[in-house]
Amino acid sequence: MVENHHLKPATTEERRIYYREEWNVEEIPDFIKNSLDKREFGFDHLGRGPNDRYRVFGSLDLLRKFLRYRTPFAAYSSVAFYEKPRRRDGWIKSELVFDVDAKDIPLRKCNCKGVCEVCLNQAQEIVCSLMDILEGDLGLNDIHVIYSGRGYHLRVLDESVMKMSSEVRGQIVKYIIGAEVPQSEYAGDGMTYKLEHFSLPFGYPQVFTERVKYAILHITESTEIDGVNNKLLKDVIKYCKYINDDEWGLFRGKVGPIRYQRLIKGIASLNMGWVDAKVSIDLKRILRLPSSLHSMVSMKCMEVNNLENFDPFRDAVPRFVYERK
Amino acid sequence: MVSVAFINPLSVEGRQVVREMGNLDSFREENGDIINVVIHTRSQDISDEESIPHNYLDLAVKRLEWYIKKRNDPNFDYNKYSFLFNYKITRFDVISFYLLCQAVGVKFGPNSRESRAMVESQGKLMESRLSEFSRIDREELIKKILDSLLNDERVKWTFFEDILSSHKLKLEDLVMDHGNIILNKEDFIESFSSKIQHRDPDKIYNMMIGDKIKELIMNRMIMQKTEDYIYKVHQKSRREIEPNPILLELAEKVSNVLSESFTSYGYKVGVNGEVKAAPLNSNAFPPCVKLVLEGMKSGGRNDAIILFFTPFVSYARLYPDVFRKNVTVKVSDVDPNLSVVQNEILPLVYGAAEQCTPPLFEDQPQEKVNINAKLGFGMHTTVDLKHEGESIWYTPMSCEKVKLHLPSLCKPDKTCKRIGNPLSYYIRKLWESGETNGDHEGNEE
Ligand code: SF4
Ligand SMILES: [Zn+2]
Repeated sequence: MVENHHLKPATTEERRIYYREEWNVEEIPDFIKNSLDKREFGFDHLGRGPNDRYRVFGSLDLLRKFLRYRTPFAAYSSVAFYEKPRRRDGWIKSELVFDVDAKDIPLRKCNCKGVCEVCLNQAQEIVCSLMDILEGDLGLNDIHVIYSGRGYHLRVLDESVMKMSSEVRGQIVKYIIGAEVPQSEYAGDGMTYKLEHFSLPFGYPQVFTERVKYAILHITESTEIDGVNNKLLKDVIKYCKYINDDEWGLFRGKVGPIRYQRLIKGIASLNMGWVDAKVSIDLKRILRLPSSLHSMVSMKCMEVNNLENFDPFRDAVPRFVYERK
Repeated sequence: MVSVAFINPLSVEGRQVVREMGNLDSFREENGDIINVVIHTRSQDISDEESIPHNYLDLAVKRLEWYIKKRNDPNFDYNKYSFLFNYKITRFDVISFYLLCQAVGVKFGPNSRESRAMVESQGKLMESRLSEFSRIDREELIKKILDSLLNDERVKWTFFEDILSSHKLKLEDLVMDHGNIILNKEDFIESFSSKIQHRDPDKIYNMMIGDKIKELIMNRMIMQKTEDYIYKVHQKSRREIEPNPILLELAEKVSNVLSESFTSYGYKVGVNGEVKAAPLNSNAFPPCVKLVLEGMKSGGRNDAIILFFTPFVSYARLYPDVFRKNVTVKVSDVDPNLSVVQNEILPLVYGAAEQCTPPLFEDQPQEKVNINAKLGFGMHTTVDLKHEGESIWYTPMSCEKVKLHLPSLCKPDKTCKRIGNPLSYYIRKLWESGETNGDHEGNEE
C-alpha cells in the first residue's frame, strides 16, 4: 500500500523504466488486441494532450516496439472501429463507454484535490451499480471495467449496441444514472393513481430510487443541490435514517411532499454528474489504453477482472513508485 | 369489424387497399362515395360546404389540417372533422394517407417541416381514433396490430433503436428485464411479483404497463414507419423523371396548410409570421444562456462558449427562424458585410469568454479560431468573407444536447417545458412580450 502523496507525476526516467522493465504488451486486453488494426491510436508525448493521433498498428509487435521506445506520457486507442483507422474513415461501430472520473463525481466524501482512496471507492460503488443496470435491465453482456488511473471506464462490447447512434447512447446514459424524475401519476380504468418511484421496485423507477438513496445517504451540510436550501438540507440529514431503513413513506412525510419533490428534482440533475456523458455520446473518442501508464498520477491504467476485490493502491501502482525515496 | 388499416395504413390490409386504387388522375374528380360517408357521419357539421371533402385531394388536405388546426386554432371545431373518426372512411383515408406521404416525399423530403407534420399528425390521429373505441375493441385492435409489428413474443429494447434514436420513445418509458421488454401480464408477474410488496401486482401491471405502453409502442412504430416511407418515396423520386402533377398540387396545398398556422418546436407564430432578425433582447434569454453570461468556471468553459453560446447568439441575432425555414444559410446571406458579426456578436462572445474564471482567452487564445469556425469562417484568426464556407455555421444545440454536454447549464424554468431548443425559448419569450415582427394571430395562452 502506498500513501497518496506518492501519486505525483512520473519523471521521464520513470516512464522509461516502466515501459522497458515492467510493462508487458500481453496485458493489453483481448478486446483491443483482437481489433488492433481497426482502431486509431493516439499518444501524448509531452504531457500536453494527445496530439499524436491517427496512428495505426498492423501488429501487436509494432505497438510493443512503439511503446518501448517512445515511452509516451500517455497512450490511447479509439473506442471506434474503422475500415480506415488511419483516416478515421469508414466507421464500423463503437464501444459503448461510461466514464466515471473520481475527481468529478458529485457528493465526494473527501476533499482531496486529485483522487484518493475515498473518492475512488465511491467511483467503484457507482461502477458496480451501473453494471447491475446494464446487465439486469438492459441485458447487455461483454462489459469490461478498466481502472483509468483516476476512475473507471466501463466499456461495453455487446454487438447489440455497438452500432447505435449518439442519441440512443444519450438515452442509455440518462436511464442508468437516473437523470430524470420518473412520472408519478398513472392512469387506469378511468382513474388516476399516484405512485411514487419508491413504491415501484422495478424498471426505471427502481433505478431512480437507488440513485436517490445513494445521494441522500451521502449528503452533507456543504452539499449543493439545485433548489435545495439549507433548511431542507438539514432536514434531509436529520431524517436520512429512514432512507437507510427503506422507510420512504416516512421520510417523505417528515420532509413534506412538496419539499420532497424539490429534493428529488435536484438529485436528478445532480445525477448527470456521475458519468461524463460527453464521452458516452462521442462515437470517435479515444480512451486511455489499458496497461499504459497514467503519468500524471503514476498509476497503471488496467483492466479489472474482479471489481469487488480490486484495490487501485495495491494493484495499479507501478513498481518504480515503491523505489521512490 | 373495423379494419386495422383504419389505424395503421401501412399494414397488409392498408397496402391491399392501395393496390386496388385507381388512376391518380381520378383523384381530383368529385367522388360521391367519399361525400356520402362524410355527410352520413354522426355529428358531422355539414352546414358549411367548405368542410366537406369532395375528392381524394380534399380529403388528404383535411386529414392534415385537422391536426394543425387542432394544435393551433383556438376556435377549432371538432365537428368539422368528425368523418375522420368514422371507420367507414377507412378505404378513402388510407389512400389519402399514401397520397400525402408521396406528395411530401417527392416535394419536401424526410427532413422537412412538412414531413414532420405528416408524421406527427399520423401519431395523433391514431391516438384520437383509438380513444373513441370501447376498451375491449381498443385492446383487440392494438393487440392485432402489435402482433404484426413485432414478430416475436419476446422483444428486446434494442429492437426500438430507431424510435429511441429519434426520441419518439424514451428508454424510461419501457419496463425491461434483462433486455426484454415486459408487455404481457404473465411476463410481468414472473419477473417482478416477488419484489412487489403490500400491493397487488395485477393492479400495478395494469397501471404501469397495461395497454398504455403497448399503445405507445405501436403508435411510435407506425410513426417511424411513416417517416421511413416518406424517405423511401423521396429516394425513389430522385431517380425518376417528372413527378406526377397531382402530387405536386397536393404538396403545394400541404405547404399552405402549414404556413397558415404552423407551430414548430413549441413556439407559435401567426399567419406567415416570420421572426425577423433584430437586436438581441437579453431579458428573453433562457436560463442556460443567462448562466453563461454570468461566467463559467473552468470545467466546460470551452464548450459553453464555443459550442453553445456562439451558435445561440449568432442565430438569435441573425437568423432566429432557422428551424422553421429548413434552408441552410451562410452568415453573409443575412449579414452581408459582416458588420453585425463584428460589432455585436463577437463582442458579446468575447465578453462572455472574459467572464469565465479564468478568462477563456487568457490561457487559450487559440480558441478564438474555433469561434470563427463555428460561424462558418473556417479555422482562421479573423472572420473574413474569403474563408466563408470552409466550415459550417453551427446551429444552436438542442436542450437535450445541452443536458448531455453541459448539464450544469440547464436550469429549466416554466417556459422550458414548452420548447426543445434554447433558441425556441428565446423566440417564444419575444413573442410573448409582443416583440416579434410576425403577425400575432393565433392563440396565446
Ligand atoms: S431546458 Fe433548454 S432552454 Fe431551458 S435551461 Fe435547459 S437547455 Fe436552456
Ligand atoms: Zn478524494
